[in-house]
Amino acid sequence: MKARGILSSALAVMALVSVAGQAPAAELEASMLANTCNGCHGPNGTSYGPAAPTIGGTNAAYMFETMVAFREGERPSTIMQRIAKGYSDEELKLIADYFAKQPFGRVVDQNTDPDLVARGKQIYDNLCEDCHEDEGMSAIDYPALAGQMMPYLDHQLHDLISGRRDLEKNEALSSKERRKKMRNLKELVDTEGEDGVTAVIHFFGSKN
Amino acid sequence: MTRLSRRNFIRIGGAAVAGATLGLPHIARATGGNVVIVGGGVGGATTARYLKLANPDISVTVVEPKSSYHTCFMSNEVLGGERTLEGIEVGYDGLKSMGITMVQDRASGIDPDARTVTTAGGETLNFDRCVVAPGISFVTDGIEGYDEAAQEKIPHAWQAGPQTALLRSQLEAMEDGGLVVIIAPPNPFRCPPGPYERASMIAHYLKAEKPKSKVMILDPKEKFSKQGLFMQAWKDLYGHGTDNSMIEWNTFSKVGAINKLDAAAMTVETDFESFDPAVINYIPPQKAGKIALDADLADDSGWCPVDKMTFESSKHAGVHVIGDAAIATAMPKSGYSANSQGKVTAAAIVAALAGKEMPQPSYVNTCYSIAGTDYGFSVAAVYRYKADDNTIAGVEGAGGLTPVDASPEQRKREVAFAHSWYNNIRKDTWG
Repeated sequence: MKARGILSSALAVMALVSVAGQAPAAELEASMLANTCNGCHGPNGTSYGPAAPTIGGTNAAYMFETMVAFREGERPSTIMQRIAKGYSDEELKLIADYFAKQPFGRVVDQNTDPDLVARGKQIYDNLCEDCHEDEGMSAIDYPALAGQMMPYLDHQLHDLISGRRDLEKNEALSSKERRKKMRNLKELVDTEGEDGVTAVIHFFGSKN
Repeated sequence: MTRLSRRNFIRIGGAAVAGATLGLPHIARATGGNVVIVGGGVGGATTARYLKLANPDISVTVVEPKSSYHTCFMSNEVLGGERTLEGIEVGYDGLKSMGITMVQDRASGIDPDARTVTTAGGETLNFDRCVVAPGISFVTDGIEGYDEAAQEKIPHAWQAGPQTALLRSQLEAMEDGGLVVIIAPPNPFRCPPGPYERASMIAHYLKAEKPKSKVMILDPKEKFSKQGLFMQAWKDLYGHGTDNSMIEWNTFSKVGAINKLDAAAMTVETDFESFDPAVINYIPPQKAGKIALDADLADDSGWCPVDKMTFESSKHAGVHVIGDAAIATAMPKSGYSANSQGKVTAAAIVAALAGKEMPQPSYVNTCYSIAGTDYGFSVAAVYRYKADDNTIAGVEGAGGLTPVDASPEQRKREVAFAHSWYNNIRKDTWG
């Protein structure tokens, strides 16, 4: 399962290299494709919230995987599944690369509770830090969560906890990664409860 | 493995893009050029911003009589009491800060041969390329009793601003038990789901404040945008299908066409019936904004034919028409369409001024409707240019509507996404 995901990514990367190498129009096309996203995700993919995520500065491979997952109906959404179906692998790759080059804008001061932020920081250190490095600012291997809008984080965390967003179906993750993420989510809910979930959201939301 | 794969992806992807960039000196930096944009709404402002983003050396001037703009989108929330008029007002400082020149005046003429735009104040602006984004104008003749003056009592509120405030104040002033009549326009018109979202938002207000009141839509059309979703919403929220429905939808085929509006007596007469509403919201038939008609950019339909790849007028070279005024085949007359078309037009102009070929265009439309508390839904489409018949066609299998059986949580999220969309498209359009 996983091998297939990586292989198809690699093939698409190779396709992109050849296209970008020969055609100056390719980059223009990338901005042409990517600019259509800004109406919902904000200029350069920086969202002014509340529900649509900032996609500027996102790890390109993660964004590509996410868009494919939307397109294939493997990740739940309100509207993205319908839109993602309009793009080929190559186009999604161009879009993902384009946004990866944009800065991750943290532009909205969110209303966070200092006590929840402190508790969220403890939970983060225990359960989230291994993957979402540098207090969630890093976008090297996983999406940056620091500074995303809290309603967006709330939707995603609850979808993960409820299984509506099913990690088992995420071919891009190794089985070890899947197990670890599911274990940590379970621990978050079992030991910290709904208040703990809220605290994590406040922690990431406090970053700017 | 996955980590390695992602890191490799970034390295490979980065190298490829860097190579392309090196081979390509910034496409239009070598050339400047003058672009004059008529209209500071969504289409005009988006084009201005994306031109400047692509090439700061292009001189961009926007001619717009108003000192600030009220977005039509979300104006139904003002009617429903969920948002203030100030909450849909946006200024032009964002455009000015990019070096875009704002001429606060009305464009009075466009000469495509001399390549000039003249203003009511007597200015003459030279252009290499002109973008005309005037929005809509109204057909005000044809119904007895309705003219410009009648709009003081019968607002259309289809261009947000003072008319939105007037309609809201009429709703506030009406007594419980009153009737609100919305007369919807024939196709094509700005914001296809708009009249039905408006009915929903007015019902939302009346349900809370004046629950014996009712909204009636009189419609020349037999069907409308997102009909199934609206009908479901009206059933879920406003008793549609029962004797106590707060929203009633009647087509002209049932009640007859409107033949008289009396602003003094506040009556609506159709071929077969007479209504005595507390509030009348007549949304007239529409055509392209006046300047587009005056400048010979429209055809017999009242809308402007364009090359669908560049939005250059089919009638006058060097002049582009975008947004509601343009004939964009499958794309609806929506804010998102205008925003998307502005970006395509900016790319077309940047390419044209640099003597380069226009890249393949890509267009998107998304449109949210809010029908009541925590109750939203959407439609989306991805479009591509088809050269063989000069059309903009939806990509097959993509886009479409929120499922009619979406969960309450989904509907609630769609409202959050509608508000997200509002914040982001405003920022993307006006900076």
